[in-house]
Amino acid sequence: MSRILCVDDEPAILRLLTVVLAVDGHEVSHAHNARDAIVLLERGGIDAVLLDLGLPDRDGLELLGAIRSIAPLPIVVVSARNDVREKVTALDLGATDYVTKPFDGDELRARLRAALRNREVAPVADVVEFGPVRLEIDHHRALVHDQPVTLTPKEFALLRALTEGRGRVLTHAALLEQVWGKAHRDDVEYLRVAVRALRLKVESDPSQPMLIRNEPGIGYRLGGGAT
Amino acid sequence: MQRPFTLYLAALVAVGGVVWATTTFLPVLGLASAALLFLLPVLFAAARGGLGPGLFAALASAAAYNFFLLPPRYTFRIHAPENLVSVIVLVAVALVTSRLATRLKAREIEALDRARLSAELAELSAALAGNPAASAFDRGVALVAERYGQMQVLADPSQIRPSVLLSSLDQAAAAWAQHNGDVTGHGTEVMPAADWTFLPLAPRNRRDRAVAAIAQRPDGTTRSRQEIDHLAQLALLLGQCRDRDALEAERRERELLAESNRLRQTLLAALSHDLRTPMTVLVGRLELLARDHPSAAEAMAAAVHLQHSLSDLLEAARIEDGALQPALESIDPVDAVTEALGRLALRPGVALQRDIRADLPFVRADAVLLDHILANLFDNAQRHARALIRVEGRAIADAVLLSIVDDGPGVPEAERDRIFERFARAEGSDRTSGSGLGLAIVKGLSDAMGMTVSVDQAPGGGARFTLAMPLAKAPSA
Repeated sequence: MSRILCVDDEPAILRLLTVVLAVDGHEVSHAHNARDAIVLLERGGIDAVLLDLGLPDRDGLELLGAIRSIAPLPIVVVSARNDVREKVTALDLGATDYVTKPFDGDELRARLRAALRNREVAPVADVVEFGPVRLEIDHHRALVHDQPVTLTPKEFALLRALTEGRGRVLTHAALLEQVWGKAHRDDVEYLRVAVRALRLKVESDPSQPMLIRNEPGIGYRLGGGAT
Repeated sequence: MQRPFTLYLAALVAVGGVVWATTTFLPVLGLASAALLFLLPVLFAAARGGLGPGLFAALASAAAYNFFLLPPRYTFRIHAPENLVSVIVLVAVALVTSRLATRLKAREIEALDRARLSAELAELSAALAGNPAASAFDRGVALVAERYGQMQVLADPSQIRPSVLLSSLDQAAAAWAQHNGDVTGHGTEVMPAADWTFLPLAPRNRRDRAVAAIAQRPDGTTRSRQEIDHLAQLALLLGQCRDRDALEAERRERELLAESNRLRQTLLAALSHDLRTPMTVLVGRLELLARDHPSAAEAMAAAVHLQHSLSDLLEAARIEDGALQPALESIDPVDAVTEALGRLALRPGVALQRDIRADLPFVRADAVLLDHILANLFDNAQRHARALIRVEGRAIADAVLLSIVDDGPGVPEAERDRIFERFARAEGSDRTSGSGLGLAIVKGLSDAMGMTVSVDQAPGGGARFTLAMPLAKAPSA
């Protein structure tokens, strides 16, 4: 039961989204362009945004940045642009998720649910928890399914970044920057090697990883929370 | 150039003059001075006419000196040995002077020729550089033809044989010039009996060589060796122009091609983008409708099928266009398989079996394209499987082999190559599912990433598709 702002210049898509989201009891506000979207956001009362990138008055990626600066809302991009680089940019700019048109209604609702559920950003604290992972930062202690796991500092940092992402897809560059530093933003190799090592320690079947999930060409997210 | 006969006559006349002068003034001059005077006709004749007239003048002078002046006069006998010396000196002077004069003359001719050649080359270069719009080569040929006579360019052997223009000897000379890079035909050492002179347009070290044929002079005289050499150099310059023209034409063609490719890609992208919105509305609405009205389910299935076919068509067009630019990176094959399988909607009654080790080496691939390949291969397997799909991965020396095995009817040996072509379907397969492009897309995408895909028969009788993914280089981290 949330209020969702749908930003799309196609009236037919807006009407479709209204019906699809009504299944979950969401109330939908429409904006046909970036200006209307900002007016509605500033009025308040919005819980999440579904954002099309192709808007008549302003590039959707720009609007994404603007929305971020108004309120820390979950933003799910719903776009006809099916390009990995576009997705990576949107996620790096703060989008919570990215759905490509034509979308499957059930999948869209599931992703919106996940985005809404995970919106409560955990305050910086000693303990970070998401799904089956519990990290005690001060003690450098990791528990997965209540089992203690011994991690190297890099593995711990990586798992912490993923856990704090709360199921959000974190791009390769974002993870690399957070764990290895800005200079290593492009060293995807590091990430692959570390993810594999981490999986061997935390996955129940590392050949079929369910906890650290890969988004082809984009990044990783922590699975295991109900989706 | 004076005719040789005149030169000899002039030498004789000069000697005669000296004889007259010396005999007349002998008492005043004395024998020694008289002998010196005989050097004059020798020098004169050698300088003007070269060795022949010089030597002739020397012998005539020696003979006249001996006959008219040396005692006993009016005989050819020589009494004192020093008088023999004067004769030898006269001959020696004639030899040396004529050699010097000949060499000097040759240098002069050479210098003049070189000056003319460089002036012409400069003129030609200036003319060629002048107007880049027209063909530099054509202008160069016109310029040379205007100055030296009719000129034909024979670009390749087919323009030499058969030919109405050239006699069989000319054809042979042209072929020789083309093949060996020598100047041949009229005025040269190679087949001089030919009517035309053939000038290669490229130096000897080049293989494909065009040849310029230049006609004889209008007055029928043979061109000098210098002129032939000169023309040969002009021909090489023309050859350079021709190469430049060809490069320029190639560049323009490439640009045109690139432009048309860009247009097509823009069109494809726009089409794919513009189709997405109506497809979203169509499928989304039917999906909702089908919840309450089971009769709409069929329409929805058709719309979903249409949507997949459209996206397959666009993808195939993109591959065919060469518009793919794979972003190759190191990929964990376990990731790739897990994600693609995660989205697979298995038909009821079909089970999935995985046999993939978690420590397979990383492969070099574009994550999105690889995902697309795997999705298509898995989808293909689940449409043909009776009850089981097996996914197996193993590493060999330089690749990871991923096999997708189904227990369906398999692909007959005769159709195994054809199955990766567009719209190819195995005999008796379900004609309503799939766009007929899935495997063609798999092939196109794997080719683009340097992977190979093949199909053979699984031990149990079904189809086994195998994707060979090249290894990423060993990670350094």
